[in-house]
Amino acid sequence: MEEIKKAILDFAEGSKKTKFYFSDIAKAVHKILPDAKSREIKKAATALINEEKLIYFSLGSTTMYGLKGRGITEDH
Amino acid sequence: MAFEPKEPQKKLKYKELRIYSDEELNNYTEEELKDFKCKHDIPDLDELEKGPWPSFVADAKREALHRRKLAEDRMMVGRDVVEDLMGILQLSFDHGETHWKHGGIVGVFGYGGGVIGRYSDVPEQFPSIVHFHTLRVNQPNSKFYNTDYLRTLCDLWEYRGSGMLNMHGSTGDIIFLGTTTEQLEPVFYELGHVLQQDLGGSGSNLRTPSCCLGKARCEWSCIDTQDMCYELTHFYQDELHRPAFPYKFKFKFDGCPNGCVASIARADMSFIGTWKDNIRIDQEAVQAYIGGELKPNAGAHSGRDWGKFDIQKEVINLCPTKCMWMEDGKLMIDNKECVRCMHCINVMPRALRPGSDTGCSILCGGKAPILEGAQMSMLTIPFMKCEPPYDNIKDVVDKIWDWWMEEGRNRERLGELIQRHGVPKFLEILDIPPMPQMVTEPRSNPYIFWKEEDVEGGWKRSIEDYRARHKR
Repeated sequence: MEEIKKAILDFAEGSKKTKFYFSDIAKAVHKILPDAKSREIKKAATALINEEKLIYFSLGSTTMYGLKGRGITEDH
Repeated sequence: MAFEPKEPQKKLKYKELRIYSDEELNNYTEEELKDFKCKHDIPDLDELEKGPWPSFVADAKREALHRRKLAEDRMMVGRDVVEDLMGILQLSFDHGETHWKHGGIVGVFGYGGGVIGRYSDVPEQFPSIVHFHTLRVNQPNSKFYNTDYLRTLCDLWEYRGSGMLNMHGSTGDIIFLGTTTEQLEPVFYELGHVLQQDLGGSGSNLRTPSCCLGKARCEWSCIDTQDMCYELTHFYQDELHRPAFPYKFKFKFDGCPNGCVASIARADMSFIGTWKDNIRIDQEAVQAYIGGELKPNAGAHSGRDWGKFDIQKEVINLCPTKCMWMEDGKLMIDNKECVRCMHCINVMPRALRPGSDTGCSILCGGKAPILEGAQMSMLTIPFMKCEPPYDNIKDVVDKIWDWWMEEGRNRERLGELIQRHGVPKFLEILDIPPMPQMVTEPRSNPYIFWKEEDVEGGWKRSIEDYRARHKR
């Protein structure tokens, strides 16, 4: 779990984009940890949300993840 | 089967939970309403009130007047929200473009769905709707609720939101229209802890599952849609609230092929009640319909005189597979040809009933148009037993999700993925054989391609030898 969380944060911090689809996160994690299962990655992402390191960015129809503190971070 | 809640249910009493007094709720007269004038000029909205149909503008004006007359400390968001909403709509009509910005980081803690951020891009003109977030409330199954529940819900939203709701959104949710970011958590708390009411799904989540009236009210229901919907909603809580899908995913449960929640047209996975044995026939009742003692369609079309009921013309000739006939005064059905159109059962409900060996058909891939146009769900599993805890259904769901999460592109619905990869691949994932029922028109859409190992001799035949006998 901790390895996956680190892989997610490394990807989020290293990316030029500020918002990511879950599948892009999963692909990045798979590059480092090829055996990680989608559900484990999701659990790790949820844990990072609860730790307030990641945020959800909802478009209504689609949801993306973002790194707290980058891009749109305030309520506007 | 009696309802067994997953947690003890409170009996809600409006008189204990209410926020507003009767005087506050009835704080304007019809005379005042006639004289009401919105603070913005809204000629096009006024136009919508004309004509024979009820208009949301009439309701909005009532709400605007109601809020004008409430005391300042009786509302947690701006008094003018409704008037400003009408104003921004008029502005959008004038400009021919929207003035809402979609998307944002608003939500309630731990949930990735249920709240949809809405912001106005003309904040100076309409200051009370700068934030106007939408909440989706997971509707009770079959939309069964009592007035205590509804009144409590309305009071809550009057106090902490705009007072305007959609009953219901197309997914089935109760939609709370418009509140500020600060009010999201208090509304969520009240819903969860007082009303025992969860938020619904939005975004790349499992969306709020919905079901028809099911066995609670309908004798045709072949499956307990409410129980299935309740069980799967609870079982897939994580998928409902924490988004990790490529896009939205919808379950809908229809008790019979009449399809009252139109699952076939709207759900990525439609569960439609059906039967495996024969339609049950009461020949005496058939004669009663023919003789005119029983009214066809249970009297639903008795508003005008359609003449004497003619079973040949109104039932037998309308059977899409022509599998019905009269023989020695008895109605006969060749059940293996029945395609479950439900017409005969609908016309003669006392004489014909669905069979008693019941379960559901599972159809996949239905969706509204964004890519590739609208698609109906495709029959994937013709029959499956539906008994709690529905492990067989959950197995199918899990296989589909694993494949879609692995292969689906961003914003690609299941139906689009099936189209892109082909039905054979989809059937391979589910480990089920192709069946004639899956073919839309026999022999016109052959989508099953042989694999080398399935063909005797493989691909190694001599084409020259073949061409010697068959000219190109």
